[in-house]
Amino acid sequence: MDYITLVILGCAVVTFIPRLIPVLFIDKLDFPQKAEKFLNLIPYTALAALICPGVLTVDNQLWYIGLIGAVVAAGLAWKKVPLGAIVILTVVVLITVYSIIPFF
Amino acid sequence: MGIGYAAIAMKAGFTPLQTISMSFLVYAGAGQIIAASMALSGATAIAIILTNFVVNLRYFVMSTCVLNQVEESNFGLNVLAAHVTVDESFAMFSLSKDSSIWIYLGIAITAWLSWCLGAGIGVVLLDILPVIVTNSFNISLYALFVAILVPAVKDSKQIAALVLVTAVLNIILSQFLGNWALIVSTLIGAGIGMYIVDDEYFLSGDA
Repeated sequence: MDYITLVILGCAVVTFIPRLIPVLFIDKLDFPQKAEKFLNLIPYTALAALICPGVLTVDNQLWYIGLIGAVVAAGLAWKKVPLGAIVILTVVVLITVYSIIPFF
Repeated sequence: MGIGYAAIAMKAGFTPLQTISMSFLVYAGAGQIIAASMALSGATAIAIILTNFVVNLRYFVMSTCVLNQVEESNFGLNVLAAHVTVDESFAMFSLSKDSSIWIYLGIAITAWLSWCLGAGIGVVLLDILPVIVTNSFNISLYALFVAILVPAVKDSKQIAALVLVTAVLNIILSQFLGNWALIVSTLIGAGIGMYIVDDEYFLSGDA
């Protein structure tokens, strides 16, 4: 088996195990209300942690590229623009930013 | 993001089939990009696989949350749901008012197939698209994260405070814990949230 195939299959197995364990044991886990609140809070904290500081490394050379993108996406979301449109418009704004950077 | 992953994978010597297969079989955004970058820098297969295990351990928490929320499911559907659980499908489903397994699979399988399609498009388009465009696609995942968070932040000052605290915490922990910082900050943040966010916010069905 070549190196890359081994990496892919190995990663597939070790990534699937943590996802599968709850399937096998979920019936034995009874969640009290406090635990449910904790689990319900996780998406917000996970998203916050995913964005900061990761968004600043969108472009390894120019940290502000990610910041611009995040601000544009936040502004559009604030104005209740639909999800898909936010993603496309943010990409378009960054293409524009990249295009004008050489002029500074 | 899918295109960004494809770019690194192809540079690391993945064939187009391997690039797309990894998206199908592993299905882990950050994990795949890290694996491909490590392969590019010549890391051993064991080091890559162990790093992937650690980076993707957070799916245990997400999978537990999803399975705790779904209704009218069975073992086979649960296994499928577990495989397609990633940050985005988990976050969208957690904020969804409908808890049917079919709603979850609808969201998650669409995201899974678009991720594979993204890798496929990346493989085909990389030679054609200018660097400016492929670089700009790196923002798409973050735009999605921000777009999901903003309505909740707008709705509740307590959630806004929690998001801010967790972001600062993760920026600090990232300096010391590397890829572990994400899962540690997420769990500590949720622990802090137990005290600063009202129970009513969740019981009212807004969460």
